[in-house]
Amino acid sequence: MNIHFPYPLGTRRDALKSMSSGFGYLAFSALAARAADPSSAPLAPKRPHFPAKAKRVIFLCMRGAPSHVDTFDYKPALNKNTGKDSRVPGAKLLGSRWKFSPSGRSGLPMSELFPNLAKHTDELCMIHSMHTELPAHAQSFLKLHTGTSQFVRPSLGAWSLYGLGTVNENLPGFVAIAPPSLNGGAQNYGSAFLPAIYQGTRVGVDTRPIAQAQVRNIVPPISSTAQMKEIALVQALNREKLDRDRVNPEVGGVIESFELAFKMQSEMPKVMDLAQETPATLAMYGIRDGAPSDDFGRKCLLARRMVEAGVRFVEVTHSDWDHHFKLSTALPANCSAIDQPIAGLLQDLGERGLLKDTLVVWSGEFGRTPHAQGGDGRDHNNKGYTAWMAGGGVKGGMAYGATDELGYEAVENKVHIHDLHATILHLLGLDHEKLTYRYAGRDFRLTDVKGHVVREVMA
Amino acid sequence: MKILPLIIAFIIAAAAPLIAQEGSAEERIERGFDMFDADADSALSSAEFKLLGEFSPKLKDQPLVVAYLFRKLDANNDGKLSHDEYMGLAKLGPKPPDSPPPSPAPEAPTAKPPTADELAFFEKKIRPVLAERCYKCHAADSEKIRGGLLLDTREGIRKGGDTGPAVVAGDVSHSLIIEALNYANKDMQMPPEKSGGKLSDTVIADFTAWIKMGAPDPREGSSLAAVKPTDYTEAKQHWAYQPVKQSPLPKVSNEAWARGDIDRFILAGLDAKGIQPVGDASKTALLRRVTFDLTGLPPTPEQTQAFLQSAIRNPQSAIETVVDALLKSPRFGERWGRHWLDVARYAESTGRDVNCTLPHAWRYRDYVIDAFNADKPFDTFIQEQIAGDLLPAKDSRERAEKLIATGFLAIGSRSLNERNPKQFALDMADEQIDALSQSVLGITIACARCHDHKFDPITQRDYYALAGILLSTETLYGTAATFQNAHPAGMIDLPTDCGLPRVNLKLSTEDRAEKESELAKSKRYGDMLLPSVLALYRYSNGAGNALNNDPKKLIQVVGVSAKIKAAELELATFDAEGWPKLMAIGARDYPAKATPKPFRMPREIGDIMDSVNRRPSDQSAINDSPLYARGDVAKPGEKVARGFPSIVGGAGTSALPSNESGRRELAAWLTSKDNVLTARVITNRVWYWLFGRGIVESVDNFGVMGQAPANPALLDHLALKFSKNGWSVKQLIRSIVLSHAYQLATTYEKTAFEDDPENTLVWRMTPRRLEAECIRDAMLAISGSLQITPPTASAVALLGDRTIGGLVIPTMTPPLSDETFLTASGTTRSVYLPVPRDAVPDVLSVFDFAEQSMVAGKREVTTVPSQALYLLNNDFVAQQARRFADRVLALPAATQITSAFELAFARSPTEHERQQALSFFNDATSGSAVERATWTSFCRALFCSAEFRLMD
Repeated sequence: MNIHFPYPLGTRRDALKSMSSGFGYLAFSALAARAADPSSAPLAPKRPHFPAKAKRVIFLCMRGAPSHVDTFDYKPALNKNTGKDSRVPGAKLLGSRWKFSPSGRSGLPMSELFPNLAKHTDELCMIHSMHTELPAHAQSFLKLHTGTSQFVRPSLGAWSLYGLGTVNENLPGFVAIAPPSLNGGAQNYGSAFLPAIYQGTRVGVDTRPIAQAQVRNIVPPISSTAQMKEIALVQALNREKLDRDRVNPEVGGVIESFELAFKMQSEMPKVMDLAQETPATLAMYGIRDGAPSDDFGRKCLLARRMVEAGVRFVEVTHSDWDHHFKLSTALPANCSAIDQPIAGLLQDLGERGLLKDTLVVWSGEFGRTPHAQGGDGRDHNNKGYTAWMAGGGVKGGMAYGATDELGYEAVENKVHIHDLHATILHLLGLDHEKLTYRYAGRDFRLTDVKGHVVREVMA
Repeated sequence: MKILPLIIAFIIAAAAPLIAQEGSAEERIERGFDMFDADADSALSSAEFKLLGEFSPKLKDQPLVVAYLFRKLDANNDGKLSHDEYMGLAKLGPKPPDSPPPSPAPEAPTAKPPTADELAFFEKKIRPVLAERCYKCHAADSEKIRGGLLLDTREGIRKGGDTGPAVVAGDVSHSLIIEALNYANKDMQMPPEKSGGKLSDTVIADFTAWIKMGAPDPREGSSLAAVKPTDYTEAKQHWAYQPVKQSPLPKVSNEAWARGDIDRFILAGLDAKGIQPVGDASKTALLRRVTFDLTGLPPTPEQTQAFLQSAIRNPQSAIETVVDALLKSPRFGERWGRHWLDVARYAESTGRDVNCTLPHAWRYRDYVIDAFNADKPFDTFIQEQIAGDLLPAKDSRERAEKLIATGFLAIGSRSLNERNPKQFALDMADEQIDALSQSVLGITIACARCHDHKFDPITQRDYYALAGILLSTETLYGTAATFQNAHPAGMIDLPTDCGLPRVNLKLSTEDRAEKESELAKSKRYGDMLLPSVLALYRYSNGAGNALNNDPKKLIQVVGVSAKIKAAELELATFDAEGWPKLMAIGARDYPAKATPKPFRMPREIGDIMDSVNRRPSDQSAINDSPLYARGDVAKPGEKVARGFPSIVGGAGTSALPSNESGRRELAAWLTSKDNVLTARVITNRVWYWLFGRGIVESVDNFGVMGQAPANPALLDHLALKFSKNGWSVKQLIRSIVLSHAYQLATTYEKTAFEDDPENTLVWRMTPRRLEAECIRDAMLAISGSLQITPPTASAVALLGDRTIGGLVIPTMTPPLSDETFLTASGTTRSVYLPVPRDAVPDVLSVFDFAEQSMVAGKREVTTVPSQALYLLNNDFVAQQARRFADRVLALPAATQITSAFELAFARSPTEHERQQALSFFNDATSGSAVERATWTSFCRALFCSAEFRLMD
């Protein structure tokens, strides 16, 4: 680690004070003016409703719905009954072909599919009793991200950013790394009726390697010197207008936006540049040419670099877990793509002292059936599946809730998507019933009229 | 292995009634009813029932059992199974009709009189608990009855509340009271913690025992009277529900200041607060303002000169001339049409889960632009959008326009992957109710879907009265039945002689032949596949499950059938000569009676797809809608006669025709003189579009939760005058922009600002940011590259029926990447850019384009770094800056800087600005490439400046 962000977790004002670029001073008065009127600075850090356990979130989204009974939800009874009739006519139960063994001090059973992650068992808080309404990807993926598929609503990341603002305005406050373009596409990191400033900035797409990803409009068409000169002229014109108008917050805003844009333009590529990292760090994330974990490793490392630089909410997507077929080969391939990267992420966050207030969440849109489909696959199962959390304020080494003995349905301490949302917001210091936005005469919430905070998982 | 799983997801979604395990047994059984009700008479004949039996592996060879079942279910012996009779199947066993019970079904507990012991049990164990722990919120005399549930009579407890019956005699699992007492449902834990919390296990066991013994209950009395209607007495007094009334013209402090009635109302408002209006805008600022406001473009330097010249002679007539010319310009409709498109949530794809393009949506866009250019009376404009198909037309052209107008109902976002056809129908009607109520009436009727509106006097009955009208309407939004799209719809064929333009995309004879042969090939493949597929779902154990367990077959079926459907749809959009047919999306009425869609054994592979997800017959005809408890599709209640909410004007609804949806009457009601909202809402919108704030600031919500009008007398004055003036939008705009109030400067005044910081009373013109379209169009206009002739159609139309993002299926046309649209540029006006949902061009989204999934009467104004990055680094901007530079460089050197400022800001530079510009050019050698690059940079700096995007 030899990159230092100039203003890692400081405030925007700190950043400006220490700024040395040529036109920084211009912006300062505008910023000071806006600081006096917080409503005009929608991204300024905001005080949470109550002291937060987590300051930022990394959401590892497993698109396609991973099989819970093969990964985290150990079902000996299912293994015992493999080949027997299931509750669905014509379909036979399929035990997991992978071994589970007790792991860590907590002794939680971990699948052999995650040899590296198993070293972090005591940091993981498993929720085995997740459930959602529909076994359909498109709807449930949207529900996971926005709380509903029936209406277009802001995403979890947008709500978080709206609730808390960001500590580094030189970077977007909410970044979606390699999001899919299906299942609702941009809605999953969109802001809907919240101001557009809260929407996620997309970095890369799920169909191309992240190493090639670039944020749009970030590369100047002219030399840096020429652009500095151009911006200086822009700001001079702006200042002249501000002088003429005497009071015009909009002009102040434009001045500030150019200031920040210039910094973002230099900072974003730096954050994205993994060459800054040591070989040891790269190895920790499983980043090496040709390795199955290379791409997701890069995404996880990118996520760490972003939260370290002050991004509030980073979502990293891994596609595709929809294993109707070839479960026996496709699932281990996926697991080996994410095992080392996630283990590396947890280790790295821990070593940097970030894990204690960074909430890491792992979830798909639902789980899969304990019975087989076509012999070597599993069908969709919305009634019971596993999500896990780690870091910021959650109890490690614990399993909360349970599915029935075969893994069909959550039966104990059921946790709905709304409950998961309420809990994530709670860990961020936000009361999901108070985090509202008035639109068209109604106060909207992420959890609508539902959601219960799962207090048992909190440290 | 990315494709296969999703295909399966699709077929499960698409083929639900035939094969899926989706939903409860009741839901699956219910789907069978719609499916096999061949003549759509809402009953199954014995022949229809026999066919149903054919599809059940276990019943297939058991004609006697089928016949027995039929007799058993046909309770009234009329030889037909009504829906309710048929649903008796659900009681017969866990998986009917696959596994009919060997013996007659258990009889439901009969209503035998309770014994003395049973009554004693109730009196001792149950009644005291109910009275002590429940009546506080669930009795007729409760202060507030919660959840619509009354537990103080037998009728009440059995009828239940919003979520269903609290007690089902003899059936513990369906008695919600047990679920609530057990705290099994987090959203329904009773008694709640704050009222003492969960009851003891013993008490809950008593309740269970009581229900098992048949819930003996001596408490007579009706629960109906106790269901208190929501009290709207106060809400009905809300200002917006009062008649529109003309106030006398007020006396004002400065008669000379007021140029007309509008000014008198404005000045009176300011007088009342002791606020002085600021001075007038400069002539150049005024011209730039009114030109942008009316046409979305900046004035040219020539226009500025001409205006300044004529204003010297007569300022008033000079501005009138300019305004009249702008109102006459075709650019007016492009600007104001776009305003309405925001309100109408216009977009060129369906959005949400499966983002299918709407390649014919542009016709609605053009209809709106033309309507504003023609100054179509606003009442007619609304009527056509709601019911154009039902209105008379004098010729084919007018017929076509009125059909296209109904695109308003079809343009909304929708969830095409929804599996439950009934849910899909209700969601679609809900989206339409939301759109039309907020856009036209400024109220949120959709809030009453699940319960009476919490704030506005709109009952849930009002909602379902309106829903009935929309459920009787067929929404024709097109889309191909590709993967995941479970609900393709039809489209409207426009009269072939209507004279409207076509997409310029001819299908050559060779192309057609190739497509046809591809289609024939797919069909042959399908024919080959069919027998084995039928065998699979017909004869296997567990119906479709076998198919679901044969992934290869599934892929083949869905793949080939989607391919056939897509090819058929594509070929159907071309006429015999290979020209695209004239089509539109829109709405039409369902027939008075559902058309029989006889169910046959599928003859082609495509039939399988056609027969699934079929809209239920009761939602495919002119029909009243049931009131769905809590908006839950599984809880239909009594039917509500179609009609309109009574509160917002006019007398109560008279009965709507049984052979039409009622949209004709709805359209008339929305625009009747008794309607207190429609004229107020549109005049307020126009005011907002011209002043940057509404008289009512919540432009889409005039309800109790909206904001009060800052100047009620002015609003009513405008609304009345508007409807009296034949609902002319141009007249309204003209009267506003010629007012003194509109022509004020944006000057900041400390005292006025402190008294009215939001400028609600208009003591100055509010400084505004230009909309995204204006910013882009201005760059094009200034660089000299704006192509002013409107293009035909849209980029989306040229791409046809596709999905944006989504699955990659090797054998099929791949989905479109959203990049195609994000980077869309070109040189036509921005209103013609493609605008699919979730894939809007950068230049629009970066400057706060309208949210397309809901009525968006107002645009956000944010000022963020991504805008600066766009202007500094984007290719399109660089290109326009370069052309701007070339344009200026062609002028004499001495005038270049001045000309650049005049082009960009419609004013000359100040001396200081000129100095700064000169020093910027210090290093550049004249005539060199460096000079051009420096000029490009200079011109881009003008585009980047705050002044360029702001309007004084």
